Amino acid sequence: MATLSRRASAFAGLAAAAALVLSGCASAATDAGSSDSGAGDDAAAESCSTPTEVTMLGTIKPEIKEEFMGAVDEYNSTNSDCVQVKVIETAEGGTYLGDITPMYEAGEAPVLSYTNMEVPDMAPRVMDWTGTELASLAAPGTLDFATIDGRIVGIPSTAEAFGLLYNKTVLDEAGVDPTAIKTRSDLEAAFQAVEATGRSAIHFSGLWWSLGAHFTNIYAATVSDDRAERLAVLDELAAGSKDLIADEQFNNWLDTMDLLKQYSIDSASIADEDYDTGMYNLADGEVGFWFMGNWAEPNLLLEGPDNEYGVMPLPTTDDASTYGNDSISVGVPGYFMIDEEQSTEEERAGAIAFLSWFITTPEGQARWAGPVEEGGMNFIPVYSGFEVAPATYMANEISEYVNAGKTLQWVFSNYPAGLQNIYGAAMQKYYDGQTDRAGLAAELEAAWQE
Amino acid sequence: MTKTTQLARRQQELRRFGIFAAFPLFIFVLVLVVPFFRGVYYTFTNWDGFDATEFVGFDNYISSFQDEKFWSSLFVTFAYVLACLVLVNLVGFGLALLVTMPLRGVNVLRTMFFVPNLIGGVILGMIWQFLFGAAFPTISENLDLPIFRDNWLLSTETSFWALVIVTVWQMSGYMMIIYVTGLMSIEKEVLEAAMVDGATGLRTLVSIKLPLMAQAFTISMFLTIRNAFMAYDVNVSLNGGGPYRSTELVSLHVFQEAFNYGNFATGQSQAVIMFLIITAAALTQVVITKRFEVQR
Repeated sequence: MATLSRRASAFAGLAAAAALVLSGCASAATDAGSSDSGAGDDAAAESCSTPTEVTMLGTIKPEIKEEFMGAVDEYNSTNSDCVQVKVIETAEGGTYLGDITPMYEAGEAPVLSYTNMEVPDMAPRVMDWTGTELASLAAPGTLDFATIDGRIVGIPSTAEAFGLLYNKTVLDEAGVDPTAIKTRSDLEAAFQAVEATGRSAIHFSGLWWSLGAHFTNIYAATVSDDRAERLAVLDELAAGSKDLIADEQFNNWLDTMDLLKQYSIDSASIADEDYDTGMYNLADGEVGFWFMGNWAEPNLLLEGPDNEYGVMPLPTTDDASTYGNDSISVGVPGYFMIDEEQSTEEERAGAIAFLSWFITTPEGQARWAGPVEEGGMNFIPVYSGFEVAPATYMANEISEYVNAGKTLQWVFSNYPAGLQNIYGAAMQKYYDGQTDRAGLAAELEAAWQE
Repeated sequence: MTKTTQLARRQQELRRFGIFAAFPLFIFVLVLVVPFFRGVYYTFTNWDGFDATEFVGFDNYISSFQDEKFWSSLFVTFAYVLACLVLVNLVGFGLALLVTMPLRGVNVLRTMFFVPNLIGGVILGMIWQFLFGAAFPTISENLDLPIFRDNWLLSTETSFWALVIVTVWQMSGYMMIIYVTGLMSIEKEVLEAAMVDGATGLRTLVSIKLPLMAQAFTISMFLTIRNAFMAYDVNVSLNGGGPYRSTELVSLHVFQEAFNYGNFATGQSQAVIMFLIITAAALTQVVITKRFEVQR
């Protein structure tokens, strides 16, 4: 499982990284307009006549595009590695495979790319990180998903968590203590207490990705307390031998979904704009809860800066000891991979130098984990040696869950590419009451056969 | 004329043709013919988007036909093509009749009806997403009209018709231009003769205008069928094939199959199947409508 490492002291031990730490121009952060800075006009470029161009596909996530580009600009103008990182922006609505396959076909594969579900597809053509400094700094467990056939094919970006987000102001007013909610009945009582203050209890979004990936993960991660058994369930589904409707935990999970539906505010829907609606509803205190993840926290703090927002587990049964009732889902949203098929050795070294700057230098760390309002990406670090860490209420709460070991696996990372879309469509049908449990179970099972 | 001069002339013609056609032909081969045959070749391999390492025979076609979602998207596509074929041409022809009437400002009307066709499909989809999702519900709430109160894109039936409405809005202006050309090409003498003989407006339309401009119908219907079968951008940007993938047209399905689920070879096979279907449908239509064309 993903673990947060906030051991600041380890930084001193990173003497090996010193080679990459810059020789003097380090703190000169500039805000050049474009990341695509050609050679010659930059201070750092003077020291080397022909800088190595390292291409990177995408901006990690569209939400942090500005911040990522800012970091690339700073690196390009200050590094002494003789490297220029060039970001190839991707269109919204595109897919990773749709973007990268034509580039391979054209012989112009990006040196660096970042993805999650498609890591196994890319494994044969990307570099093995085994033995590199960054791989050794990555927190225990965060490399598991990207370790394929004994090769470490990618290194993690951050840890993200999802569960029931809550507006602390609203819960305080309703007299609800989120840490005291251990069972589904507790949750219903909390919903009623919020409703008693004249609000709606929860905004339950019907977004396909939220339902298809994150909400189904609650089932997939609580189906067993043993990692191997959880993955065995996926194997059974793939083989077509799993009978979901006969699974008690499947029904428990849907009971919880029914509860969320029952207490959800009217405006919640399956429309794409629902993310914004849900965010406004929680930030404005229209509701007390929202099933979402910590990526929403910056948006929430921007819309309702006077509140604090937390995250809590989503109980699936009425028994507090059921596996997962005290845990939130924490995982790595994606991995950096370096192409080995079409890149040169210099390009690969340049890509490693760039990520090393990002992860191990104070300037890079400020960009990596610093607050959004200061140009940072607000990433919860998953590497040892970080001196910077997000300090928001939710980030602290997530750290507490992680430190207490109360985390659920991101089983949905193991879904094959595209399954979450098909799952999402099936879940939306159930969300809208277009199908019953048996119908949903059949559709989820059939999704594996496509 | 001697044999040698004839030969020389033919050579000259050939050279002239070569000069003008070589470059377009080269581009055509490069961007259409070569990729097409490579695509067909890939359908018989285990292509994963990167490499094709072995031949698998007809496996990809078999799994294409076993893909239930492919069948349902084909079904939706046929329904969509049929709806568009009827509505686009009815509206397009209606507009053409309107703008060929001796009215004031017909030129302005012509331009206005044609403008939607100049808007790209993606932008079009986004405009209508806003209209269906926010503008219409607000208006109908204020005017107490039940029809647009709910977002049309969120239920299966209405989402399909929303797709049709947007397509009709986009395409009928273009078809109008073709029909206008057809109507204008009818000789004045024929129409005057009909008037002298005492034919009513409807009679003139059915017995004179329609047969004499049947060619415009052949062209318009061919274009409508082709465009509707290949519709993709509006589908993506308007409703993304939603809700629950119920309005996923075949092009979008092929894209999803290949670039989202990573089944490149299967997706490519479905694209080939789709090509065969479109060819068959378009040829049938042309053969049928050709019969209604009359010689002058």
